[in-house]
Amino acid sequence: MSELSSLRQEQVTGIASAGKVDSVLRELRKIVGDSNCTASKHIRYAYSYDLSFVKPKMPDYVVMAEKVEQIQELLRFANREKIPVVPYTAGTNIGGLTIPERGGILLDLKKMNRIVDIDSESHVAVIEPGVSHAKLADALYKHRLRFGWPVGPPSASVLACAVSHGIGGLNAKYGLNSQEITSMEVVLPTGELVRVGSCAIRHDAWHSCLPLPQLDGLFKGWLGTSGVVTKIGISVHPIPPVLKVFTVSCDNVEDMYSYMHNLSNYEMCDDLTAVSWWLAQVPIPYPFKPKPDNAPEWFSFATTTSWTEKERDARVEIWEKVFEEEQKKGTSVKQTVYPEEALKGRTQLPSQVVGSTKNYCKQGGAGISWPGTFTPAKVWAPVYNKWKEILIAHNLSPSVRMSMYRGVHYGMLRAMIPFNKQSDQETENARHAIVECLKVDLDAGGIPYKPPIDFANEINQRADPGYLDLLRRMKKFLDPNDIMNPGKLGI
Amino acid sequence: MDWKIAELKELEDKIWRCTACGTCKTAYDYGPPPTFGEICPAGTEFGFEGFMASKGKIAFARGILSGELPWDEELVEAIYKCTVCAGCQNQCQLDHKPYIPEIIEAMRRKAVAEGAGPMPLHKNLLQSMKNYNNPYQGPRRVRTDWTRPFKKAGKPIKDLNKEPAPVLFFVGCTGAFNTAARAVPTATASIFQKLGMDFGVLGENEICCGSTAMRVGDSEEFKRVATKNLETFKWLHDERGVKTIISSCAGCYRAIKKDYSLSSEYDEVMSGIEVIHTADYLNRLFKEGKLKFKGELPWKVTYHDPCHTGRHLNKFIIDHEGKQLWKGAYVDVDQSECLYEQPRDLLKAIPGIEFVEMKRNRANSFCCGGGGGVMTGFGDWAAKNASLRIQEGEETGAERIVSICPFCHFNLNEGAKNISSQVKVHDLTELIDQVLVGINDD
Ligand SMILES: Cc1cc2nc3c(=O)[nH]c(=O)nc-3n(C[C@H](O)[C@H](O)[C@H](O)COP(=O)(O)OP(=O)(O)OC[C@H]3O[C@@H](n4cnc5c(N)ncnc54)[C@H](O)[C@@H]3O)c2cc1C
Ligand code: SF4
Ligand code: SF4
Repeated sequence: MSELSSLRQEQVTGIASAGKVDSVLRELRKIVGDSNCTASKHIRYAYSYDLSFVKPKMPDYVVMAEKVEQIQELLRFANREKIPVVPYTAGTNIGGLTIPERGGILLDLKKMNRIVDIDSESHVAVIEPGVSHAKLADALYKHRLRFGWPVGPPSASVLACAVSHGIGGLNAKYGLNSQEITSMEVVLPTGELVRVGSCAIRHDAWHSCLPLPQLDGLFKGWLGTSGVVTKIGISVHPIPPVLKVFTVSCDNVEDMYSYMHNLSNYEMCDDLTAVSWWLAQVPIPYPFKPKPDNAPEWFSFATTTSWTEKERDARVEIWEKVFEEEQKKGTSVKQTVYPEEALKGRTQLPSQVVGSTKNYCKQGGAGISWPGTFTPAKVWAPVYNKWKEILIAHNLSPSVRMSMYRGVHYGMLRAMIPFNKQSDQETENARHAIVECLKVDLDAGGIPYKPPIDFANEINQRADPGYLDLLRRMKKFLDPNDIMNPGKLGI
Repeated sequence: MDWKIAELKELEDKIWRCTACGTCKTAYDYGPPPTFGEICPAGTEFGFEGFMASKGKIAFARGILSGELPWDEELVEAIYKCTVCAGCQNQCQLDHKPYIPEIIEAMRRKAVAEGAGPMPLHKNLLQSMKNYNNPYQGPRRVRTDWTRPFKKAGKPIKDLNKEPAPVLFFVGCTGAFNTAARAVPTATASIFQKLGMDFGVLGENEICCGSTAMRVGDSEEFKRVATKNLETFKWLHDERGVKTIISSCAGCYRAIKKDYSLSSEYDEVMSGIEVIHTADYLNRLFKEGKLKFKGELPWKVTYHDPCHTGRHLNKFIIDHEGKQLWKGAYVDVDQSECLYEQPRDLLKAIPGIEFVEMKRNRANSFCCGGGGGVMTGFGDWAAKNASLRIQEGEETGAERIVSICPFCHFNLNEGAKNISSQVKVHDLTELIDQVLVGINDD
């Protein structure tokens, strides 16, 4: 328990019932108003856990901000008093990243949910942190525009996903969602409001972070430890009317890699993903269940969109060429019908099927975690084979996904691992297996995204000392009192 | 009579199916086009995660069960700040989905059993039920006040205590005692008379269906009135020839159809009796060509789905034996008993009406804010929430919002008053009564 927690725990829990207010809460009330902050235990409890294996911990206060100025004032106060602040939008990051390590103030940003602008001419949208994928999808569609929707909960935040290097359904075409960020507005841990990208030069120009020095990097991938992002500009894209999804299956990961590598060269897919048999099931079998002998071990869907039938036909021609080449190589790649619900869940995004964790957790129960990594495609096969051994040894399904990013030959390698969170033993079993998998991946050159602390420690153990030193110095520079989501970087 | 009403502890395994994914927080449909809307009245008003949808309620349930959240005033208030509208349930896809309203009510039952709940205003309501057999502290004889104009006009409504009839019109306490909602039973009875139906009421002997007691967690009081009502229904069937119970109240309808089925004797008692909502009944007649309309209602109208005639009537297919998926797996939802199309078909059939849909409709309808004991416990919030729904109605350009529940009717009216809206709120029966051609008319 944090120092602040232990100091105030008695006080805080007593406060609610006694109707008294401690000095921190009094200050918070001044900043955001009575109805937007609380120290009530039942509310803090509701923020104390997520779906991952990370152990629950409670914040001391929960605050909902409605305006940028309130966030500035809050951070000035927290910085002065050295109280931790954890930015939160929906808490679905699968890494315990909004579970406060050292108590403090949980800053819930869901009320800041304005779509500030959709510039349908320039294809840029400006959004606040509380804008959900569902809300943005609804609004963009009216302009026949889209974004790289993740296979996550429709109610989760677009901004939180993007600043956390989230991955969406257009990643083969446009890269990570963080690469779609065109400008940012951020409150620094010390309370100053800053802008990076074109909006720093002219207040209403949100079109690009380049060609300025890329200060946006100070706020991407930092897991809420470097400031509170209050607005981002993002590139949004037109929706071509003709959808064609190419689906294949094969018997082993090597053949699947060969096919994906080949197809990826043509840079024609919105999304080029393969999933193991276990992940193609709705839901993932829990505990591990052997794959039927006659079932392929891998399925792939390559989503393409075209403006005309002719364009689609050209893509078909390329795909057929790739397919033929793979067959000539003697690989086991076959055209296949992808299981309907699973395909829907991955191509009709945002999706309630996957967002609600139906395809992941329905059999496992309450828990899910992942070794989620960016890994060079050429080592996918050996890493997967090792993961499979580790996971099966822990009685867990090797439900693995591989996705190419923006034409280059690296991308997401991830195992979605459901578990029964009601049981401490089963949770610990999953944690152990996942951390083991992660070590294998790190040693093969992969890097985990949205890493829980267990992962951060593994990264840092392997990191170049110069990198760690720079990271520490940047953190100290931005957040001298280490108030922002402290502990999450493992430094 | 035995009742199978679950305790919170019995639902613990279900509670541990929730992944805290938060999908329950928004009504979203892929489409295309994709549609999004806030779905949780409590989350919309109070914002903090604990208030937000089933994700939040399940957090409370976990803490209560583990002992980490002992009862205190604020926690008790928080578990009652929920309209039990099941909007969240409609979004969830996991194995506890069928049990979500049950989990919320089981927390309340635990609070009541342990002396922590319900809210003070609910206590008044429950006391009134004990004293008067209705939640409105209404003396028995007031229950028939709405029937007086019928008597005066020489068209008295049959008293089933004295005479037989095949149809019981179960009026419900809100229609009978809440003057603003009396238009509902009045229009219903007028329609039935125009159609020449042989029907009757229980009059002063009708007692509360028990829905509100159940919603606020007093299962003992619910069981008391429900048992009495089931006994009365059996008597009506055996002695008065009642074969159909019609209700114009979404709450009574839901209670009799769903909550009463938790009784061990439900199937036996209700054998030979059909329970039907007025909207469904009238729609059936309409489909058979037995409703004729004259004149016009030249209005732009939208329809508000009450939770109790909509998603509360979902039937969940559960793999109890583990034959299809695994033991206890939620398989699918059967919406065939939800009254989504019936009221819409009737509205569209009324000459002159231009029907428009609100963005959140049918299974994703936004609750008026009055259910789950909220209208009694937190009247201001209930009306504030109703104002949001009224605004949504206004956005369609509609001049009138129609519904099929006296509870929604009352609360939406309060919501409209609060924001001085020009939108008028009607029960479907009121509109039909205005244009229906009676069998004795030319
Ligand atoms: C079933 C499932 C599937 C998923 N699939 C994907 C997927 O395909 N791709 C993907 O990328 N993710 C996926 N996720 C993870 C997650 O849903 C997304 O990253 C999501 O968009 C995060 O949003 P959130 O609102 O839950 O963020 P939170 O969990 O609330 O926050 C995430 C991180 O961002 C920080 N943060 C939040 N707001 C701010 C802010 N304003 N300023 C600074 N820091 C901030 C938080 O402190 C935290 O470190 C999935 C999750 C689930 C449950
Ligand atoms: S109730 Fe269902 S939809 Fe809501 S958080 Fe839990 S699992 Fe997700
Ligand atoms: S039942 Fe309705 S009010 Fe209650 S949590 Fe669910 S959506 Fe919110």
